[in-house]
Amino acid sequence: MKKTLTLIAAALLASMTLHAADKPTLTVYTYDSFAADWGPAPKVKAAFEKANNCTLRFVPSSSAIGSLRKIQLEGDKTQADVLLGLDTSTADMAKATGLFAKHHTDTSKLTLPAPYKDDTFVPYDYSYFAFVYDSNKTHKVPTSLEELASMPESFKIVIEDPRSSTPGLGLLLWVKAQYGDKAADYWKRLAPHILTITKGWSEAYNLFLKGEADMALSYTTSPAYHIIAEKKLQYKTANFAKGHYGQIELAAALKSSKHPKLAQKFLDFITSETFADIIPTTNWTYPVRQTAKGLPEGFKSLYVPKMILMDGATVQKNRKAWIDEWLGAIAK
Amino acid sequence: MLKLLWRFRTTLWPGLIVAILLLGFAGVLFGTLYYEAGGIAPFPVSDRILSLLKFTLFQAILSTLLSLLLGLLLAWSLAHQPRFCCRGMVVALFGSSLVLPSLIVAFGIITVLGNHGWLNQLADLLTGHTFGSYVYGLSGILIAHVYLNASFASLGLLRAFESIPIEKYRLSTSLGLSSWQRFRTLEWVAIRSTLPRIGITIFLLCFSSFAIVLLLGGSPVYNTLEVALYEAVRIDFDLPAALQIATIQLMISIALLLIASGMPQGLNNLKQPSRFIPWPEKRQVALFQRSVILLLSAIYLLPLIAVVLDGLHADIPHLFSRPLFLRSLGMSLGIASVSTVLTVILALMLADARRHFGLPLRIAERGTIGRLFGLLIAFSGNLYLAIPSLILGLGFFLIARDMGGSMTSWGITAILTANLLMSLPFALAIMIPAMAKTARRYDKLVFSLGLSPLQRWRYADWPYLRRSISYIAALSFSLSLGDLGVIALFGNQEITTLPWYLYQLMGSYRTTDAAGVALVLLVLVFGVFFAVQYGDPATGESHAAR
Repeated sequence: MKKTLTLIAAALLASMTLHAADKPTLTVYTYDSFAADWGPAPKVKAAFEKANNCTLRFVPSSSAIGSLRKIQLEGDKTQADVLLGLDTSTADMAKATGLFAKHHTDTSKLTLPAPYKDDTFVPYDYSYFAFVYDSNKTHKVPTSLEELASMPESFKIVIEDPRSSTPGLGLLLWVKAQYGDKAADYWKRLAPHILTITKGWSEAYNLFLKGEADMALSYTTSPAYHIIAEKKLQYKTANFAKGHYGQIELAAALKSSKHPKLAQKFLDFITSETFADIIPTTNWTYPVRQTAKGLPEGFKSLYVPKMILMDGATVQKNRKAWIDEWLGAIAK
Repeated sequence: MLKLLWRFRTTLWPGLIVAILLLGFAGVLFGTLYYEAGGIAPFPVSDRILSLLKFTLFQAILSTLLSLLLGLLLAWSLAHQPRFCCRGMVVALFGSSLVLPSLIVAFGIITVLGNHGWLNQLADLLTGHTFGSYVYGLSGILIAHVYLNASFASLGLLRAFESIPIEKYRLSTSLGLSSWQRFRTLEWVAIRSTLPRIGITIFLLCFSSFAIVLLLGGSPVYNTLEVALYEAVRIDFDLPAALQIATIQLMISIALLLIASGMPQGLNNLKQPSRFIPWPEKRQVALFQRSVILLLSAIYLLPLIAVVLDGLHADIPHLFSRPLFLRSLGMSLGIASVSTVLTVILALMLADARRHFGLPLRIAERGTIGRLFGLLIAFSGNLYLAIPSLILGLGFFLIARDMGGSMTSWGITAILTANLLMSLPFALAIMIPAMAKTARRYDKLVFSLGLSPLQRWRYADWPYLRRSISYIAALSFSLSLGDLGVIALFGNQEITTLPWYLYQLMGSYRTTDAAGVALVLLVLVFGVFFAVQYGDPATGESHAAR
């Protein structure tokens, strides 16, 4: 009991001293795995603090949408200076709130596979959604969405729910982009192959790793983790020639930030070479800029598909209707 | 009446004030949300919510009935096999079901019953065919819910069996009743009143189940109302809609608690509880009962063994050298300790106040006032089942925002409150009948001797309640360890608990480490549970064997 109180007191004290420092503190709201000890956060913090004589603080939520909702709930009392982690499909939700400031970062030199230009959001990494499989266990793999739907009944996949997860929404848009009006029909054909639809990426990927399904919806860059961190070569992606839906991750500064200049410097920093060298082996995605060092070895064997991407405004306008359509098709 | 209220002031008012404070807290919570949302979405609800509500009710009713049925079978077998080897251990084992983190259990169940689980592998080996992916869908939801709740039901029912006086058993033996006749005429009457109370708790737990439903449900056909709530809060940011859904859950809980409050407490026979039922079972019946115990224990253990085996792949010593793991562990243990102390104190206060109503020699034996107070305490003790944890977290966050101050301390307060609310329904389910029993047993004596409340506690209540208190403490400690729900909005780098750490690992490819943390969590929960049950010489096996 006494120990606990000391612990809580220590935690309180620690949070107070954080604010007491006279260096300016830049607060970044982001998703959990970015802020994790093994994520990009520690290295980004060290590099940015050294260059700008400030304190950089990451505040994690379980998802970037969660961070956005937190900012909305906090209103003008929010401590957030920057929101990092939304993607092109969700950034328009944030823009609609009117809480975010325009940026001055030069994004013209960035090497993105699909054009992205926005006055509020700055891209910092990207990847492609893909189905990952274990080549030791699964030998016949589909090469298109169409082939996936016509695999034998016993071929099972795990996907995420588009209402609670970005990969889930990504697949929904992927199907929509390729099938248009016939998307609902496609989902009906795909439904028998769907083992289960999980709340988030974690559950889906863990089910796959347990051997429950042949493939799980993840990223083309997922095998890089297994290659580099685990020295396992059997995890591969099912490569679809018609292209894969992309995810470009973004950051933006808040209008209410007390350190707008520092926030702008942070947005410049996330498009810098230093940041680009940190990203691949911490966030397991591609950086938005080529660097002198280049990509780590494990990334070179990855499949690089054509990127399919809808513009954010279209997604924002139709998301609800498309999710309803998906629910109607898959629930039968 | 007033005189009585004064006479029982020291034992009545603390509990009543706690109850009123808890209800007041819920009021402020909903009020803040209502103010923030600027209103509530108008009723009637949309077709989609209606169909979600229908399925939610359907699966919750089915889960409850199955849990009660299986729990009854198990309790009946345990009650009639008092000399079954390691019976105390089996009882303690099933007692832990409630506190197991549900996501860990779900993954354990998948390892055993999944598409590529042990059962299917065995079937493939023996017959060349598998059962396929049967576990995903309604069956999976029911299996997981029954797994978690049937054992809870069985413990409550076992107590009911054991509170049947030996004299009644002796009488029915001499009448030459068969096991079935005995069940119908004697036992069913005694346990009947316990069933609805346990059933309502299970129903509400299943009603608000979320992670399990999504993981094992397989398709949006099997979504529950919580999914709609999540969608409203996180995706659409439609607070009026969220409030509407929360109100539906609140109404259902109130209705159920109202029904439960109208039922008798089931404490009619308290003369001499039968720890050992004087009833030699026929050989076939005894064999059947033993098989039930063995089979259900094995089924119960398998998913846990799966979690352990998975966890053994992890480098546990290395885990203990990581600062973040140690910090999460420390914070989880600290929070669980404080939650436990708070839960025990509040449960005692509430139960002490509650027993003034509905008993002779006290304030009101029957009638409206007694029922009203009973309802007040029942409702304040069951808030967690009535308010979705997403709403609890959201409301708390808004209150914190309006009051200002350090988010870290607010976050810890929110976790403590959530843990407390989560443990109270179970703590009260045990404490209220136990305290009512001691009141029935000692009231005449205590009042005629004119003992002070402290003396009463020392000589009458404590010796009798010790066992229940340590059980509640273990329950609440373990429940608090496994909790995840409420801290999402408060998450920052100062607050990190073991389940949070586990989820963080799962969310970034570190599956093996995550399995290791799950194992540590499981060992902690069981360790605490068994230590408390066995550590106290007055409890556990030695007590059961007396």
